[in-house]
Formats: sequence, C-alpha cells, structure tokens
Amino acid sequence: MKINILKEILPVLAITFLVSCNLTKDVEIDLPDYDRQPVVECYLEPGKPFRMLLTRSYAFFDTLGLSSNFIQNALLEGALVTITYNGQTDTLKNQLTIVTNPLKVYNYVGQNLVPGTPGTEFVLNIRLADGGEITGTTTMLSVVPIDSVVVEFNPELDTLARMLTYITDDQSEENFYRRLLNYSSLDSFPDQDFLVTDRFSQTALIAFGTGYELKEGDTVFNTIFHVTRDYYDFKESVDLAVVGNLNPFAQPSPIKSNVRGSANPVGIFAPLVYDRDTTIVMK
Amino acid sequence: MNYSFLSPLLLLLFPLLGAAQNATVSGTLRDGQNGETLIGATVQAPGLGKGNASNEYGFFSLTLPEGNDSVELRFAYIGYQTQTLKVVPRGSVKLDIQLMPVGSVLEEVVIKANALDEKRKSTEMSVSTISTREVKALPALFGETDIIKILQLKPGITPGSEGTTGLFVRGGNNDQNLIVLDEAVVYNANHLFGFFSTFNSDAVKDLKVYKGGFPAQYGGRLSSVIDVRMKEGNSKKLSGTGGIGLISSRLTLEGPIQKDKSSFIISGRRTYADIITEQINKANENTPDYNKIPRYFFYDLNTKVNFTLSPKDRLFLSGYFGRDVFTFKDPTFDFRFDWGNATGTARWNHVFGPTLFANTTFTFSDYRYKIQNELQGFSFSLGSNVKDANTKVDFYWQPNNSHTVRFGANVTYHDFITARLKAGSDDGRVRFESGRDYDGWEYGAYAADEWAFDRLKLSYGLRLSMWQNDPAFYANIEPRAAANYEVNKRLSFKASYARMNQYVHLLASSGLSLPTDIWYPTTEGVKPEISDQIAVGTSYLIGDQILVTWEAWYKWMQNSVDFKDGAELFGNNDLENELAIGRAYAYSPLELEIEKKEGRLTGWIGYTLAWVRKGDFPEIDNGAWFPPRHDTRHNLSVVALWDAHKWKKKGKDKSLQITATFVYTSGYPAWLPSGRASFTDFPGAQPQFVVPIYGPRNTFRYPAYTRTDLGIVYKWKRKNGLENDLTLSVYNATDRRNPYFITIAVETQPTPLGEVPFEIKARQVSLFPILPSLTWNFKF
Repeated sequence: MKINILKEILPVLAITFLVSCNLTKDVEIDLPDYDRQPVVECYLEPGKPFRMLLTRSYAFFDTLGLSSNFIQNALLEGALVTITYNGQTDTLKNQLTIVTNPLKVYNYVGQNLVPGTPGTEFVLNIRLADGGEITGTTTMLSVVPIDSVVVEFNPELDTLARMLTYITDDQSEENFYRRLLNYSSLDSFPDQDFLVTDRFSQTALIAFGTGYELKEGDTVFNTIFHVTRDYYDFKESVDLAVVGNLNPFAQPSPIKSNVRGSANPVGIFAPLVYDRDTTIVMK
Repeated sequence: MNYSFLSPLLLLLFPLLGAAQNATVSGTLRDGQNGETLIGATVQAPGLGKGNASNEYGFFSLTLPEGNDSVELRFAYIGYQTQTLKVVPRGSVKLDIQLMPVGSVLEEVVIKANALDEKRKSTEMSVSTISTREVKALPALFGETDIIKILQLKPGITPGSEGTTGLFVRGGNNDQNLIVLDEAVVYNANHLFGFFSTFNSDAVKDLKVYKGGFPAQYGGRLSSVIDVRMKEGNSKKLSGTGGIGLISSRLTLEGPIQKDKSSFIISGRRTYADIITEQINKANENTPDYNKIPRYFFYDLNTKVNFTLSPKDRLFLSGYFGRDVFTFKDPTFDFRFDWGNATGTARWNHVFGPTLFANTTFTFSDYRYKIQNELQGFSFSLGSNVKDANTKVDFYWQPNNSHTVRFGANVTYHDFITARLKAGSDDGRVRFESGRDYDGWEYGAYAADEWAFDRLKLSYGLRLSMWQNDPAFYANIEPRAAANYEVNKRLSFKASYARMNQYVHLLASSGLSLPTDIWYPTTEGVKPEISDQIAVGTSYLIGDQILVTWEAWYKWMQNSVDFKDGAELFGNNDLENELAIGRAYAYSPLELEIEKKEGRLTGWIGYTLAWVRKGDFPEIDNGAWFPPRHDTRHNLSVVALWDAHKWKKKGKDKSLQITATFVYTSGYPAWLPSGRASFTDFPGAQPQFVVPIYGPRNTFRYPAYTRTDLGIVYKWKRKNGLENDLTLSVYNATDRRNPYFITIAVETQPTPLGEVPFEIKARQVSLFPILPSLTWNFKF
C-alpha cells in the first residue's frame, strides 16, 4: 500500500499534536461585582401589535436562569408599559406571548397595531414594579424595497452560483441597513448578518452579494432591514461585546442603549421595517 | 516665537571656543577582520588619565596636551583584542585603528575592554544594548532568532501578548517606540501579526534602546528609541552567513567592492510554510469538499553598500524591503492581503577636522497594507499607508576631552492614507469609497553638550520640535538633561530628565500589533502627545565583570490617545470622532539590572516593579483611571549564556554553548464582562441568550506568566574556515500552560426557543506548549 505522506501522515500528526497539546482548560475566576439591570427589547413592526420583551440581566456566572425555562426566569413582570405616538398612548399588557416562524417571545403586548407612516415618533415609558423608570424614543422609517435579485452561476464551476441583491438608497440622508441572509428557513442560522451605512456610497444603487456557494434548488431568504442610527450603534456594540469575549484581537464594547432612566436599563427601542425576498436558485 | 531659551545653551557652549592649544588624535575604529566600524569602542591614554569612546559611526577624537614625549594609547572594545600604540602628541594625529576579534571558537576569550565600567561612567542611563551574539545564541520561538524579543527581556520593557514582538517601555504604548533602521523609521516592525520582527539578525550590527534620558538628537516618540544599525559589509573579503530553520531560511553575502574602500552586504530571509501547504493543496485538488489552505509567507531583504570616497568622506546606501503575503485563490474566491515596510537610507559621513564630524542623512520610509478581493465584475480593496521622507544633518564636535557637543536639524514630510476603502462593480453602477489622506511636516533642531569635569559629567541640551498640518501648527521645546556623579571607581549616581513630543499616533484596536492598525497624524483636534520622564539611579561595579544598575523613574503623559467604546476604525472618514484624549502616568521605584558581559558565563538579571495608569478620558468610564493592558506589576527576566566547552577533534575546532532564559510577569489587566443579557433579535436572526455586559475597563487580572527557554549551540569550524552551528531551542521548556486569553464559554442545550445556556465557565486558552526547534547556521 502506498502511503501519501502529505495527505495521510501529516494531518494525523497535526491532529495528534493539537489534541495532545491540550491548550485549553477551565479555570475559576472572580469577575467584578454586578448589579442586575432591566433589559428592554421593543421593536415596532408596522401592522403588528405593539410588543416588547422586558427581562433582567444576570451576573455573568449567576446560575439563575441556566435551565430550559431560561426566558421565563429572566422575565421582568409587573411593569407599567406605555407607548405614545400621534397624540395617543397605548398601554401594553403584561402577557407572555410566543410567536412562531420565526420564533419570538414577548411579555408585554398592546391592543393596537403599529402605524407604519415614516416619521411617526414614538415614546416608550416603563415604570417597574420597584419604581424604577425607563424611557426611550424612536421614529418610524420607510421600507427600502429590494429592487432586484440576480442569480449568477460561476463561469468555471457551473454548479455553484452567487446571488446579488440590489436596493436603491435615498442619498439625501444617511441611512443604515442590516442585511440578513437565511438558507432553507428563517429559523436557520443566518449565513450573512451585518450592518452597513450608505455614508460612503457614491451611487444610489447598493448591492449585497454572496460568494459562489449556492446550488440549484437552494432556498434563500434575503432580508434588508432599514434601521435607525440608534439601532445601528446598539447592534454594533452587541456584536463587539460578543466578539470581544471570544477573540483576543477584538476590543470589547459596552452595550450602547437608547433606553435610559433611573432603572439603569440596557436595550433598544426601534422600528422594525424590512423588505424580504425568497428565491429558489434555478439555472 | 520666543527663542530666548537658546541663550543659556549658547552661553554654555561659548567657552568651548576658547579651548587651549592641544594635540588631537582622531580617526575611526574598525573590526580588523571585516572592516565594520566599532560603536562605543574606547580610546584611552592611561598615563594621562584621559579617555573617550567612538561614536555611532566609529569616529573618535581624543585631545592630549601637546608635547614631544610619546603617549601610550590603548584602544579596546568588548570581544576584541586590546591594541596599544604610542603617538607623539603634536598637532592633529589621524589614526585608523583595526581591532581583531577574539571570538573564534578555540581562542581563550580574554576581553580587556571594560564595557560595563564605561557604561557606569557614562551620563547615559536607561539604556540597553543587544549584541547579535546574544541574539543568535539565546533560545527563540520556533528557533527564529529575534532581536526585538531579546529586548523584551530587559528591565523596564514589557512584552505584548505571548510570542509577539510588542514593546511597552516604561508604561508607554506600543506605538511610542521610535524604531529606526539605519536612521529610517520602521512603522510596523512585525511579521505574522507580531510573532516575528522585521529584523533579520544576520544583517543587524548593533541595537541600542533608550528607555529614558533621551539624547537631544532623538525625538518623535514618547517612550523609547530603538536604534538598529545594519552591518556595513565585509570590506576585507567575500563572506557569507546563512541558516535553515523551522520557519524560514536566511542567506547573507557580504564582501568588498574595492578592498578596504567599499563593500556591500545583501541579506534575505523567507518563510516556506506555503511551499508545504501548496503541495498539500495540490495533492488534494481532486478531493471532493476539500477546503484549500490559504497561502502565507513573509520575506525580508536588506542591502547596503558603502564607499570610502576620501580619507574624510564616506557614503552609505542601505535599504530594507519586507512583505507578509496572505492569499487565497480559486474559481469562487480571489483574495490577497499583503503588508510590509520599505526603508531607504543615504548617509554621508564627513570629517571636517580632528574634532568635528558630520553625518548627513536622507531617509525614506513606507509602511502599507492592502486587502483586495476581486471576483467576476466586483472588487473590494482596503488599505492604509504612511510614507516619510526625511533629511537631517548631525554634527559631532569634540573641542576637548571635557566637552562633546552635538547639534543638528531635521525635516520630515509625512504622507498618510488612512483606511482607504473602495468597493463596487466594475461597470460603476455600485461604488463605495471612504478613507482620507493627510500630510504633515515635522521639524526638529537640537543642540546638546556633554561636559565632564572631575567626577561629575553633565549632559544637557534642548530640542525644538514643530509640526505643521495645515491649519494646525505646534511648536514645542524639549529640554533634556542627564548627570553622572562618580563617587569612586565602583559607584556612580545618575539622574536624567527628558521631555518628548509625538506627532503621529497609532490607532490600534487591540493590544496586539495588527497590520491593519492605522497611523494618524496630529491635527487641530488630536494634539501632540507629550511625555516627561525623570529618573534617578546608581551603578555599582562588582569586580570588573558585574554591573548592578538600579533606577527609579516617573513618567507622565499628556494628550494620550485611546478609543471611545465601540469605535469604528474602518469605513469612517471622521476617525477623530472615535478617539478619546486623556492622560497617563507610570512609575517604578525599582528597575534593577545585574549584567555580566565577560567570562564564560554571561547574561543579565532584570527586574522591574512598576505601575501604569490611564485616565481623564471623558468618553471612557466618565474619566476614571484604569490600568492599561501592559500594567504588569512584577517583571523578572534571567538570561544566561554559558560557554560550556571547547575542544579540537580531527582538525575541527568545536564548542558547546548552553543558554537559558527565564521570564516571570505578573498577570496583566483584562477587560472581562461582569454581566450578561439576552436578546431575541430581529426575525431571521438567532436569539442571543448570552450577550456580555462590560463594566469598567481592565478590572480583572490574568494569572501570572512564567516561561523557561533553553538552548544548546554546538559549533564546529572546519580547516577550510567554514563555520557551522546547530542550535537547539526549546521554547517553554517546562511545558507550562500560560494564559493567552480567557474566554467565557457557554454550554447550551436545545429548547423550543433555541439553544439556551445551561452552564457558563471561564476557559483559559494557551498558545504555545513546549516547542523544540533545530536550526542549522553556517558562515564562510
């Protein structure tokens, strides 16, 4: 039997070396003291009821809530929650609500539907059971529609294709977008998830692309969210916080919230407007 | 502008002009084997109690009372045979002295020059020198000898992350080191994300680092000056050195162009992991679902030529070019990331007379990185670049043995491209562009005198530095002073003060040296960084072989630059909005070095007890003071080189040298999260059940770092003169698991809501286990 050193022996040696090196180990560490904070997550989706998830954060190693009913343990109940817009105030009811496809959880839900008129201003007020207060404001944005979706097969490897998604940006003002790309279902782990600003776009046309990684028959969910500056900053800081914990090259960031008040909250109050295209890759 | 500050200095210099009639002996000190000039070699007239040392260009000048009786002069340099000769001190005596090295394997190393005593008596303090002998013999990561990593073993210098070439000198940041190669600035002295430095030890002649007490001729950085000088090339005969190691191979050729008049050196180094990975890729090109390994390599090329134009004129031309290249190419993806430095130096040494020497230099520096991705109608590129063009002239005037005067001026043009991003379609329908260009002019002028009288030596000077970046203009005066009081033949007290200004700033998003870090100029919004440092110390000579140096220092810095939380470095034309400006200070009551440079056992022990704090940044923790990542309380290093055995067998000279280093560093501060929150996120995104919440910066400290490295150097020399050595390096010989970083690991379990956490643990990740490596070096 002929043995190929490069193909067979070297990889085995490399794997053996890494395993035997045992370069990671669990350690006991003391983290700084931490006071739990209210966590607000309230997205205003036009045409849907006002909905909010209000939870509490944990000290990092707190064993509370590390269980299958993780969310239920974190829920912060008994708060008075109102949202004011167009001169009217809606009170959100403290009620656990689970929405499927994609799966989302809320514990405060309103009766009225969110108006989608761009420019509408919303004010969130929360009075917690312990008297702590939280406020936030945001403004409804317009949907930026997907102009076109183009599937192109690789000229050399015609089994693999890429997808180009185009939108037309309003260059008269600074806009922020979040791009999500899901394969197979909206509950799948996104293949692409990033934020972008049009600050440096020299053209009204903006393209979002994939690599040559799609195959015939793949289903692609292509979503372009139009987001506020507050949301952009919040999401960036969340991503940096997550990456900063995993990557020694990255600088962590505290979470940049747009909700404030005596309760010392973290979180986000923002519109949720998007256009979504679903395409099945065909030759 | 008020220039009245120059008056006291001119008054101090004025008496020098009226010096008495004397004879002057001047010339150049060189290595007798290869013609290299010797820096810091001593020339003494023992009978008269007078002495001096050669400057950084090998030039020396010694003033003697005129007379008809011959005077014995002694020329000495560590590692060389001392030479004595007699001269009659009348008028100007010009001597070009060549000292023969005593380092060949069979010779008994009896070194007469007492370099440690010279160091004790000098006004210079906070200075370390590294010899290439030490660099080549000491154990190294993957056997890759590295002059910068040896520097990290000196007291007062804290390394960055494990295995990297980061230098944090006396509480300063990594960008506060003025690294010059043959007087040209090297902006990013790193390969492979900082794991190796750009300096090929085969091409380096000498390295000197100033941690404080900066001479007036240096400016532009707050915390250190690292002066690296390339070899000039063997002017006697063609010779070469080289080596084959685990990571790279090296080859250096040097020789005379015209014997004793001109010479050249060319030195190259390249890694070869990519040759192996390309073979693996080729072997697997038909394997389904095989993930191709990206190609990575780095290389350096050093060249230098020098010409003796006349007895008074010498011309040097030198250059460095190095690149790291990371590529990946297949039909679906075409990516290239390369970065590196280029420097060029043209230097003209002119001897005006026995007491006046001038060096005129033109340098060019370029550091750039570029990331490119091109594919089927679309392209992306991101890059930064900093370029310098510098002219300077330095005068070295020694009117008598009591005074050594230096004065000069320089002007530098800086050109910056910061994070230039271009992306879009080839047809122009889609186009993104960002990044800005800046330039700036930096000027410096200085005058300084070293004044020796009896037991006291004073060094005092002023530097005027200016920066122009329209419409910003800054002018700063930088006083420099140092003193040495020699209590007796063994004990000296020293003190120094130096102010430094820094007009270029590195925007680095982590404690590591990444090629994508951006150099940014001083502007109206970003003011020059300023540091003041005072130091006091003593040097005590034990016997004539061991020097104990204690120093205590305090350094305070203004206009320190840091990032606001969550700063955006790329795709941002207003980088200044991401910066926070504050202050910093550092101090050490105890920086101790015990050096032994002669005998069979040489080396040093360095220990530093220090504190570093940054604060007053309005946008960071409301201005609170915090310890930066390089605030390590205790730093201990022990370095030993032992010439264990020498013998002769079958006509071959052989020797065995054993080397070891030991390092202990207190745990460094880290910014770890204190809390965690959960977010369900937008539809289509995965819920994030553990989002870390970060509180104040750097409240956690890592465990201490300890490492022992061992090395064995086996040398043999053939009758034909070919010298070989096999160097075995064992990095982390005790196989200790040192912390590289600590991550919070979350174990999850599936639920209808997604993957929710059920266990959270702290996990320490180590980088290097025990790593033996073997290198073969040769010399002919």
